[in-house]
Amino acid sequence: MTSRYRLGVDIGGTFTDAILINEGTGEIHVGKVPSTPQDPARGFMDAAHRMLREADISPDEVRLVVHGTTVATNAVIEGKVARTGFITTDGFRDLLEIQRQIRPSLYDLQFEKPRPLVPRRLCFGVPERLDAHGNILTPLDENAVTQAAERLRKDGVEAIAVCFLHAYVNPIHETRAGKILSEIVPNAVVSLSSDVAPEFREYFRASTTVINVCIRPIVAQYLQRIETQLVNEGLNAALLVMQSSGGVFTFSAASKKPVFMVESGPAAGVIAATHLGTALGYEDVISFDMGGTTAKAGLIESGTPRITKEYEVGATARSGLGANAGGGYPIRTPVIDLVEIGAGGGSIAWVDSGGVLRVGPQSAGADPGPACYEKGGAAPTITDANLVLGRLNPSYFLGGEIKLNIDAAWRAIEETCAKPLGMEVVNAAHGIVEIANAAMVNALRLVSVQRGYDPREFVLMAFGGAGPLHANRLADEIEARAVIIPISPGTTSAMGLLVTDLKHECTKTLIQRVDQLDLMELEKTFESLTETGRKTLEREGMAQEDISFDRKVDMRYVGQSYELTVTLSEGQGECTPSPLCESEIRRALEAFNLAHDRAYGYNAPDEPVELVNLRLTAVGHITKPRQRELDGRDPDIGKAHKAIRSVYFAEKNGYVDCPIYNRYRLGAGVVLIGPAIVEEIDSTTVIHPGYQAEMDKYGNLILTKF
Amino acid sequence: MAIALRRSAYSTNIKTRADFSCAFFDRQLQPVAQAFTQPVHLGSLTEFVPRVVREYGPENLEPGDAILSNHPYLGGVHLNDITLISPVYHGASRSVCPDNSERNGAKNTEEHREQTLELFGYVANLAHHVDVGGGAPASIGAFREVYQEGIIIPPVKLVRRGEIVQDIFRLVLGQIRSKHETAGDFRAQIAANNTGVRRLNALLERMGAHKVALNVDELLAYTERRTRADLANLPKGTFAADGYVDNDGFTDEPVRLAAKMVIDDNGVLFDLTGSDPQRRAPVNSTYAQTYSACAYVLKSLLDPDIPVNAGFYRLVRIVAPPGTVVNCTSPSPVVGGWETQVRLSDILLKAIAPILPDSIPAGTKAMMAQVGFGAAHPRTGELYAFYETLAGGYGGRVSSDGPDAVQCHGQNTENAPIEETEVNYPVRINRYELVEDSDGAGKHRGGLGLRRDYFFDHEASFTILSDRDRWGPHGLFGGLPGKVANYMLNPDSDTVELGSKVTVQLKPGDVVSFRTCGGGGYGPPEDRDPQLVLRDVRDGKVSPARARKIYGVSIDTDTWTAEKADTSSQQTNSAAK
Repeated sequence: MTSRYRLGVDIGGTFTDAILINEGTGEIHVGKVPSTPQDPARGFMDAAHRMLREADISPDEVRLVVHGTTVATNAVIEGKVARTGFITTDGFRDLLEIQRQIRPSLYDLQFEKPRPLVPRRLCFGVPERLDAHGNILTPLDENAVTQAAERLRKDGVEAIAVCFLHAYVNPIHETRAGKILSEIVPNAVVSLSSDVAPEFREYFRASTTVINVCIRPIVAQYLQRIETQLVNEGLNAALLVMQSSGGVFTFSAASKKPVFMVESGPAAGVIAATHLGTALGYEDVISFDMGGTTAKAGLIESGTPRITKEYEVGATARSGLGANAGGGYPIRTPVIDLVEIGAGGGSIAWVDSGGVLRVGPQSAGADPGPACYEKGGAAPTITDANLVLGRLNPSYFLGGEIKLNIDAAWRAIEETCAKPLGMEVVNAAHGIVEIANAAMVNALRLVSVQRGYDPREFVLMAFGGAGPLHANRLADEIEARAVIIPISPGTTSAMGLLVTDLKHECTKTLIQRVDQLDLMELEKTFESLTETGRKTLEREGMAQEDISFDRKVDMRYVGQSYELTVTLSEGQGECTPSPLCESEIRRALEAFNLAHDRAYGYNAPDEPVELVNLRLTAVGHITKPRQRELDGRDPDIGKAHKAIRSVYFAEKNGYVDCPIYNRYRLGAGVVLIGPAIVEEIDSTTVIHPGYQAEMDKYGNLILTKF
Repeated sequence: MAIALRRSAYSTNIKTRADFSCAFFDRQLQPVAQAFTQPVHLGSLTEFVPRVVREYGPENLEPGDAILSNHPYLGGVHLNDITLISPVYHGASRSVCPDNSERNGAKNTEEHREQTLELFGYVANLAHHVDVGGGAPASIGAFREVYQEGIIIPPVKLVRRGEIVQDIFRLVLGQIRSKHETAGDFRAQIAANNTGVRRLNALLERMGAHKVALNVDELLAYTERRTRADLANLPKGTFAADGYVDNDGFTDEPVRLAAKMVIDDNGVLFDLTGSDPQRRAPVNSTYAQTYSACAYVLKSLLDPDIPVNAGFYRLVRIVAPPGTVVNCTSPSPVVGGWETQVRLSDILLKAIAPILPDSIPAGTKAMMAQVGFGAAHPRTGELYAFYETLAGGYGGRVSSDGPDAVQCHGQNTENAPIEETEVNYPVRINRYELVEDSDGAGKHRGGLGLRRDYFFDHEASFTILSDRDRWGPHGLFGGLPGKVANYMLNPDSDTVELGSKVTVQLKPGDVVSFRTCGGGGYGPPEDRDPQLVLRDVRDGKVSPARARKIYGVSIDTDTWTAEKADTSSQQTNSAAK
C-alpha cells in the first residue's frame, strides 16, 4: 500500500521552509528554498517540488497540505490592500480616522497615527441606530445604503466593510445593508462586523472587519493560484492554512475570513512545542524560538497555548499594554500570545551615549550578516560574540555552508565595544551574550510572570537556529524545570504546521449577570454557534465522530471592562437541561475567580459577575503523525565525540577545554555532562557546567540541573 | 503593576482610558522606575510620594501597609488623582491584601520575616477616580476654593498590615457618588501595589538587596550620563515666549503664562516668573502639575530611549513663584490646573521653535477637553458619574501635517468606546466625527478637531472643563491658527452657546455638542502642495471654498483636478487616482 504524506510549507521573509512527513513511519524530510516575495505562490511550488523530489514520491501520495504564510500581514503592512469602502451608522463616519485618539509614542513630536485603510471619501454614515440591547431606535434608511453603494461602485471599490453600532447584539441592519451592497456592487466582497467579530467596542470591531475585507481579494487570489497549480500537477490533497490561533482552516474558509490568519507563521512554532511537549508528558511549556533577527516566547498551559485577543497588525511591540499601543490596526480575533523582541543571531551590539553596552534591536540580518560572515557587515553581532566565546564552530555553521571568520568577529567586537568601554574583547563578547540573554529572560518573564504564571513550573522548549545556544542560561535564570531541545531545531516551527487540528472560533456577545442568567438563552445561543461550527466542519469534509466543541465564556466582575476567558464545559459539547448547566456555571465562576487572582493578584468572590462573550471552538480532529524513535538505546558517547574546543564559560572564569559532540551520532539514553556542546546542521546546543543533557528515545535533548 | 491596575479596575477612565501611573522609589525616595501612559504623570508621583512619605513618617510604615492621599498642597495635583503608596520591605513578602496568596518566595516563615525586615523602597500608583465628591458629578467644574472640589485625603493608612482599614474606606466612599466603581478601583490600586511588592521581593530574593541597590544607583547615574550627553546636542541659551489660557471660568480676563527656558551644561532651567497671580477660579496649577509640563518638554527634546528616573529629573530645575497660577497655594481651586499646565507645554515648545524649527510642531490642542456628567440612573435610581477627555488637532510639522483628532503633550488618554459607554451608562452618543475645516491652514496643515454629541433621556448634570473657544492653537512660520473650540447645548434647535468651563443642568431630550479645536498650521498655506489640498477636499476635510480662499487652490469637483489660483504660478495638476 502506498504511503500517505503530509506537506507543510511556511513562507517567511527570507526563506520558505518545507516539511514532509510520512504518516505511517513518521519519516521526515525538511528543506528550505528562497522566498519569492513578488510572487509567493512560486516559492510555495518550488518548496513543494523539492520535497516531492527528495522523498521521491508522486504528487497523489500527499493527502494533506498545510500552509503558513505572512501574505495577509504583509498586505496590510505594505498597504497592498484592496480598494475598500466603509459603511457605518450616521454620525460615526470617522471611526477609522479617530481610532483610539492616542499617540503611539509619547514623546515623539513627529509621530503619525496609522493611516486609515479606507480613505475618508470612501466612508459613509447611513441613518440607522440600535440601542445597547439591540432595540431599533432608527430603522435602516435603505435609500441611503443604496446611494452609498452607488458611490462606491462608481469609485470602483473591490471590498466593503459594514459596521453599525451595537450590531454585535442584533445584526438585522447589517445583514440587510450587506444584501443591498452585494446587489449594487456585485464585484466587491462584503464583510459584516456582526459576522467577522461580533463583540462590543466599535472601533476594534470595525478595524477587524476592515482588515478582513481589505485583504480578502489578495488572499483569495493567492490561495486560488496555489490550489490551481497543485491540482494541475495532480496533487489533490486537502488544503489548509494555519490560523493565528494555531488551528487550521481550509483554503476556502481562509479566503472568506483571512483576518484569522494574520499571524499564521509565528503560531506554528508554539503549536509544535505544544504537540511535542504533550507527547513527552510536559503539558506546561514555555516555547522559545530564536532565529536571525528576533526571539519569540510563548506559553503553553495544560497542553493549550495561551491566546490573546488584543493584537495590533503592524505595531512594533508585542508585549500587551505599553507605550506602543495604537501603533497598528487592532484586530479582535484570537492570536497566540507571543512576546517578540529584537534579539537574534544578527542583532547588533553597540555602546550608547551613557557608555553602556547594548544589543539590538538593529539587526545585520542575513545580508550583510554578522561581521564573521565577511559579506560586508562590520558591526558585531550576537553570532560574532558566540563565535569568539568558542560556542560556534567556524567550519560547521549551517553544516559548513557558511564559513565563519573568527578574526573578523574579534576585530568587530574590539573596535565597536571593547575599546570604547576599555574592556578585554572576551569580556565584551561575554557581555554581548549576557545582555541579549537578559533581554530574552525578560521576554520569558513577560510571557509567564506578567500573565500570572510561575516559570519554575514550566519546561523551556528552545528551537530556531539560535535558541539552543542560549536556552541553558535562560532556563537557569528563570529556574525552569528542564530544557528540551528538539531534534533539528531549525525546522521545529515548520513541524507545527502538521500537528494541529481544524478549528473554527464562533463568538457572540451576550452580556448577562451570572446570578440572573437566562440559561435557556445561553443554551440556545451556544447551540446556534455549535450548529454554525458543525456545518462549517462538515463542509470541510470532517466526519461527525472527529468533531468536538469547546465552550468558553468571557467573564468579569460587573463594572469591569476587561474580561477573562474560562472554559464552560470540558468539551463534551452538549449542555443538557438546566441543572447541569447551573453546576457548569458554578464551576466556570470558580475558574474565573481563580483566573482573576492569577492575573491580578486578588479576587472578590462576593462581587456580582457577568458574562460578556460566548466562545465556541469547533474542532475537527486530524490524526497526528507519530514520532519516530531512535533505533534502540545506545549510551556510548565515544562515536559522537567530534573534538575538544576551547570554550568560554563565566562559571569557570574563562576558557576551558570543552568536548564537542555530533548530535546525529548520539544514541538514546546518552547523558552528557556540561560543559559540553552538541552540534547539528541547523543549530548548536550549549550545555553549561552544572547541567546535564540526556537524549530521549525520540532524539530530543533534555537538559536538567544536577 | 500597571497591567494589574488597568485590567482589574472598574471605571472606564482607568481601565479603558489608561488614566493612571505606577512607580518604584528607592529608600531615599528617589524615583527609580515609572510605568505610565500619561506624561502628565511625569511629575505627579515624583513630587508627591517623597513629600507624603516624609509627612507621614517612614518609621510609621510597616510591611503590608499602604497610605492613601490626594492632597494638592502636599505635592499632589487635582483631587481626582488619588495615590496609594506601599513600603517594600526586604525579607517580608507579606502582601497588602488579605486574600492574596504568596506564590513567589513564599518559603519564608512569618518568624523569619520579622527577623530580617529591612526597608528597601516604595511602590506607588496613582489613578484618576471618576468622582471624588464636590460640587458636580465627576468632580470637575468651576469653584472658588479647593474645598468645593471634593474630598481632600491627607496621608492616611488605607491598608494596615494587609487589612483594609474599614473606617477610612467607608469615610472616603461616603463622600463619593459612584461608590461601587470607586470601591472596585481602590481594590485594583491595592492589587497593583501588591504586584509591585511581590515582584520586587522576588527580585531581591534572587539577586540580594545589596546587589539590587547597587544596580539602582548605577541606573540613576547612567540615566544622568545619557541625559547630559543628549543635552549637549541642544542649543544653549535663553528662550522665552508667553501665551494665555482663554479665561478662568469666572471672568473673561485671560490667564497669562510667561515661560522661559535656560539651557546650559547643567541642565534646563524653566523660569515661569511673570505668570499671572493665582485665581479664585479653577485654572491654578500645583507645583507638581507645572513640573510635569516642564519635564515633558525636556523629555520630548531628548532621545526617547532615555529612562525616566531621578537621574533624568536631576537636570530639570524650575522657578515657579508661589501664589501664581503655576504654583498655587491653599485654598486655591486646582481642578482646572491641567488646562494651565498643558498650555504651558505648548508655550514652552513655542519658545524654542525658532531655534529648533525642524523639531517643534505648531500649536496643538493643548487643552484637556474634559467632560463630566452624572445623575440618578433613570432605571435603577443609583447615582452614576462619567468622565472622559476628548482629542483635538495636532500642530503641523516641518515635513508633515498635524494628525487629526489626537491627544497631545502630557495627555494620551484613550477614547471611551461608544458601545461600552452606552452599555454601562444611561447616555447616548449621537455623533463622533471630525470637524471639517477646523485645521489651522499651512504648508503642513494642523489636524482637525472632533465633535462628540451626548444625548440624555433624563435630567442630568453636565460639566465642561476645557478652553480654546476664544483663541485657537498658534500657527508657526506663516501657518494660521487652528479653528477655535465650540461648546453648545442642543445644536439642532434653540441652540445655546456654552462656555468652556461650565456645569449645566440638562432636561430629558437635551443634547450637548462638544467640538474641539483644530491644530495650528506650519508654514504659509499658499506653499501647500495643491495635490494635498485636493486630497483633503476629496476627503471632505477641507471645503472647496476654503481651499480656494485660504490655500489659493481651485478644485474642480467633477474632474477632481486642482489648479493653483495664484496667477504667477499657473499650473494644472491632474488628479491622483
